[in-house]
Amino acid sequence: MSASEYVPARSGLAKRFRLNLSRKERRNLLLGLAFISPWIFGFLAFMVYPIYVSLRLSFSRYSGFGEPIWIGLENYRTLLGDGLFWQSLYNTLYYTALAVPMGVVASMIIALAMNQPVREVSIYRTILYLPSVLPIFALAFIFVWLMNPRYGLLNFILVQLGLPSINWLGDPAWAKFSIVLLAQLGAGQVALIYLAGLRAIPRDLYDAAKLDGAGVWRQFWHITLPLMTPVILYSVILGLTLGLQVFVQAYIMTEGGPNNSTLFYVYYLYQNGFQYSQMGYASAMAWVLFVISLILAMLVFRWSRRWVHYELS
Amino acid sequence: MMREVRGNILWIVLPAMLAMTLLLVACGGGGDRGEEAVPEGGEVLTGGEGDPDAEEVVFWIPSIFNEVDTESITGIVESFNEENPDIRVTMVRVPGDETDTAKLMTAVRGGVGPDVYLLDRFTVAQRAADGVLQDLGGFMEEGLADQYLEFAWSEVMFDGRPYALPFDTDVRALFYRKDLLEEAGVDPAELDPGNGLITIERLNEIAARVDETDNSGAYTRMGMVPWIDQGWHYTWGFVYGGEFFDPQSCEVTPTHPGVVEGFRFMYDWAEEKDPARVQAFVDTYVPPDNPPSQHPLITGRVAMMVGVDAFISLIDRYAPDLDYGITYIPVPEEGQEPATWSGGWALVIPEGAEQPEAAYRFMEYMAGEEGQRVYVRETQHLPTLERLLDEDEIYAESHIFLKELLPISNNRPPLPVGAQYWDELTAAQEAVTLNRQHPEAALESVANRVQPRLEQFCPLEVG
Repeated sequence: MSASEYVPARSGLAKRFRLNLSRKERRNLLLGLAFISPWIFGFLAFMVYPIYVSLRLSFSRYSGFGEPIWIGLENYRTLLGDGLFWQSLYNTLYYTALAVPMGVVASMIIALAMNQPVREVSIYRTILYLPSVLPIFALAFIFVWLMNPRYGLLNFILVQLGLPSINWLGDPAWAKFSIVLLAQLGAGQVALIYLAGLRAIPRDLYDAAKLDGAGVWRQFWHITLPLMTPVILYSVILGLTLGLQVFVQAYIMTEGGPNNSTLFYVYYLYQNGFQYSQMGYASAMAWVLFVISLILAMLVFRWSRRWVHYELS
Repeated sequence: MMREVRGNILWIVLPAMLAMTLLLVACGGGGDRGEEAVPEGGEVLTGGEGDPDAEEVVFWIPSIFNEVDTESITGIVESFNEENPDIRVTMVRVPGDETDTAKLMTAVRGGVGPDVYLLDRFTVAQRAADGVLQDLGGFMEEGLADQYLEFAWSEVMFDGRPYALPFDTDVRALFYRKDLLEEAGVDPAELDPGNGLITIERLNEIAARVDETDNSGAYTRMGMVPWIDQGWHYTWGFVYGGEFFDPQSCEVTPTHPGVVEGFRFMYDWAEEKDPARVQAFVDTYVPPDNPPSQHPLITGRVAMMVGVDAFISLIDRYAPDLDYGITYIPVPEEGQEPATWSGGWALVIPEGAEQPEAAYRFMEYMAGEEGQRVYVRETQHLPTLERLLDEDEIYAESHIFLKELLPISNNRPPLPVGAQYWDELTAAQEAVTLNRQHPEAALESVANRVQPRLEQFCPLEVG
């Protein structure tokens, strides 16, 4: 069954830009629109309009009050020469490039653990999912303690193993990575989606593979992983979008420091917009980030043709 | 028949859905004043319920205020409400700090802002330039400006107009633990203000004697870390005679030789003690949101620090038996006059305030004699009303000599880019204390980042 079967033959919407519907079709359309009208209204008022305004503001100087002053491309030109813009972009890409693949691995491991055929699995599932229920903001506060250079659990373990202790959040070389680690506590969320993907893989494939003498590792590599690729692609796109918007952790734990090493893009955008009253500049930053996200998402989609398998056959 | 009925349903459903949608949207923006007063993350500290006929003034204070200060201000609001039954001030604590006023900005923009806000005074010019604040000139009686300390009044002015009433001020000084110094073999009497000032060189010597490390080489106690608490860029910049703004050329001057010297002092200090180990020490004992009871001076992790005079009230509350003294911040050369700087907060009426007249009456009370007297007595901040400086009975004994520093105290230039200038200096300070950048380079980038944003306001009439 393909989607085209659902399109009424007489509509000709694309060709004529004019609806030529029967009474029934028109009524159905109106009824449908009526039912989704709350969404349409919300979408126009809270998405389309603000997006349009932010685009206009990105060409203005605007403190958030009074009238915006049109300055053309000035904000974008300033961005190019703004060292902190580049620094924050680098920090954010660094974070995303590490957090997304690590998230895929962590979520996969958790999902496989959640999928074990043991009786008490629901308890394990709850435990593994629990950190994802906590707001990131509460986790951040807990992490500050876990990462305390002297009293923190992480350094306690390192010292027990005879390794040197690390100033996780205070050393510019480590601070970004610490926030990447923190992000992995949210892996349970994605793991649930992975788990659903794992359950959707037909058992007979594994049975057939076992008959052919495939071990656990070969089964994972040749059946589980290929069939999970659509789900992995989904989580990569999601992770990319969220990763580029990382904000709360730096806002709570490091305020962008030390030495701007956790000054993430959206945090710098927030500073400009709400602390320095440069709404126009902040809007320009938002649009640049949008374009970067779009390009990255398109690249991932293009690249995914090589490794995502949609068909079972 | 069937068809007709379904047609009718459509014409009932369609308008009904639209009406519901509009209703939902309208409700989102509505609500009565009582709910509006408390934004998300806000907490009512006093007021709220009361005489429904009284005019309600909504007063927000940012969450950066410590408990001692907040309780004192709550008390002032309560006394005002008692003495003025026709007005009811509702005091709400909202997230925010010295330079982060996002809550205020978004609320004012959304038309649900407060009537009064407590703003760090050195950012008044910036917020006034943004268009967030109301010009208070119309409310003020003749000669009001002369009653306040000159520098404090200059901070509430922007473009020749007053936008705030000054509330408190403070001075910075060196706090020291007598017991810890004695333990390290230093006679604390040397630091007694009665014995004059010590030099920074001597400070270095004393501090080094207190430093302790564990087996791994990590510091467990330090004589001092010059950049914790109130040891800011402005502090050491002023101590070394730095100037931060040149009104003639309308230029920020972070590369002024004195400011560079101040940063050099921090750079060298870090270098001598190993910047990574000092940073680890700070992150261990002064983590983010460290409560005042865990302040490193109170827990004995540092023996000396630059603090604000009002720290006295925190010691009184959390460690009343602490064996400590207060003296001048050390000076670079023997024989030099002491240097310090003062800040403080101010009351403002944001744009869109619903009760500006009643709000101003409350501000006159809180920033007037009644409010300031209570605040000075309870929190050991200094008043901005000049006549209160002569009422010795409202100051703690240890506070009195600090009060005498006010006439020579410096203040930050009240610029319309003040908040950003502060944040940029802070970032530069971080780069320097980590020894990642040399003072000259770090401060040059401050100038390069702040000056272009200042230029749109030049020429500038400061104060």
